[in-house]
Amino acid sequence: MNTREYIESGIIETYVLGMASPEEAAELEALCLEFPEIKAALNAFEETLEKNAMANAIPPPPGVKKALFKELEFSFAKTSLPEEPNQTVLPTQPAPVVAMKSFSRYFAAAAIILLMISGGLNIYFYSKFTETTQQYQALLIEKNTLQANNQIIQTKSLDLFNSMQMMADPNMQKIAMPGVPGKEVNYATVFWDAKSKDVYLLPNKLPQPAQGKQYQLWAIVDGKPVDAGVMGDCAGLCKMKNIPAASMFAITLEKAGGSSSPTLSEMYVAGKVG
Amino acid sequence: MNPNQQYTEAELVLLLTQRNEAAFSYLYDHYSGALYHSILSIVSDSEIAADTLQEVFVKIFRQIGSYDSSKGRLYTWMLNIARNAAIDTTRSKGFQKSQQNQSLSETVYESAGSVNIASDDLNLRKWVNQLKPEWSVLIKLAYFEGYTQDEMAKMLDIPLGTVKTRLRAALKELHKLIKD
Repeated sequence: MNTREYIESGIIETYVLGMASPEEAAELEALCLEFPEIKAALNAFEETLEKNAMANAIPPPPGVKKALFKELEFSFAKTSLPEEPNQTVLPTQPAPVVAMKSFSRYFAAAAIILLMISGGLNIYFYSKFTETTQQYQALLIEKNTLQANNQIIQTKSLDLFNSMQMMADPNMQKIAMPGVPGKEVNYATVFWDAKSKDVYLLPNKLPQPAQGKQYQLWAIVDGKPVDAGVMGDCAGLCKMKNIPAASMFAITLEKAGGSSSPTLSEMYVAGKVG
Repeated sequence: MNPNQQYTEAELVLLLTQRNEAAFSYLYDHYSGALYHSILSIVSDSEIAADTLQEVFVKIFRQIGSYDSSKGRLYTWMLNIARNAAIDTTRSKGFQKSQQNQSLSETVYESAGSVNIASDDLNLRKWVNQLKPEWSVLIKLAYFEGYTQDEMAKMLDIPLGTVKTRLRAALKELHKLIKD
């Protein structure tokens, strides 16, 4: 094909200026791929046209650009240009100050006052709460103490009741043990069950034993002292050892846990059976 | 943004497809005058031409993805968008009405203070007017009014082949005129 003739025909100008028919345009585009000289001629005319248009440019009214950018305001990409990395940091903007309607202002003022009152009450109620909690703890301890005391008293009173029952038992033999010479103020009583031969001791009047000492009851059997047990920390009657037979009972102060034979110098009380 | 920033056409197109505002601003600054001239040569009224120009740039922004650089230069693509938009404007009812009012006021006040730019003073029109009448009529109908070759053949009652040949010859001549 004669490309020169084709180029000179004016088809390129027709195509570039948008007046070619669809068939003509398709033909030209195909020929451009095949013949570089046609493509070059096309490009040359485009450049001439553009250069001429630039030289004869008429500045549009200045408002157009503003209106155009306003119209496209939200269509632009939000990222900044890659060649301007400094601009990636957005300037900090002050928070907008929004004027309130007057009823909103009163509402806001009332809300702030209520919040302050509420805050004050919170502090007051918290201190009250702390105080009350402390008082409650104190009462709880007191209650537990009283309950424990009450139990002790109940136990003691039950012991006393049992003791009283025993003393009133017709089988029970009462042996009074007055103070030995020099210790006349002291007095104790032994209750001896005639049937079971159980021995109970009632320390009516005995001084508090010193630390590390305990009173020990002795039964005198055939003229010899037999250990009848040491007196523990008992309320009312103290249950002692079982003694089948005895002619006499006596109490000495011995080392804690008792001794095998009585310390006669430390005898407090003694009494004959019968 | 550096106002003297220069882009190659490929860079510009790439940035435009990324919806880059600075690149679009550059595009406007660089080409709006040339495109405004081509719109004015078709619609004459500077206010309507300005509105059309805005519309054209919105189209360019939205349709940049369909631009194919292998088929031609960016300016050529934009010029055709501008020309088609301007022709669409002249065909709208509102435009034709305003043109009637314009000519009425022109006869009364002799266009004193009118925003209407005498389109014949524009370079493009001037060159077309220098051509032989049988050629210039075709360019006026085809380029400025957007008639197809078929339509012109029927309108002027001449064979399509003749229309084709004459149009090509006219444009060839126009090419020589603008080149010099």
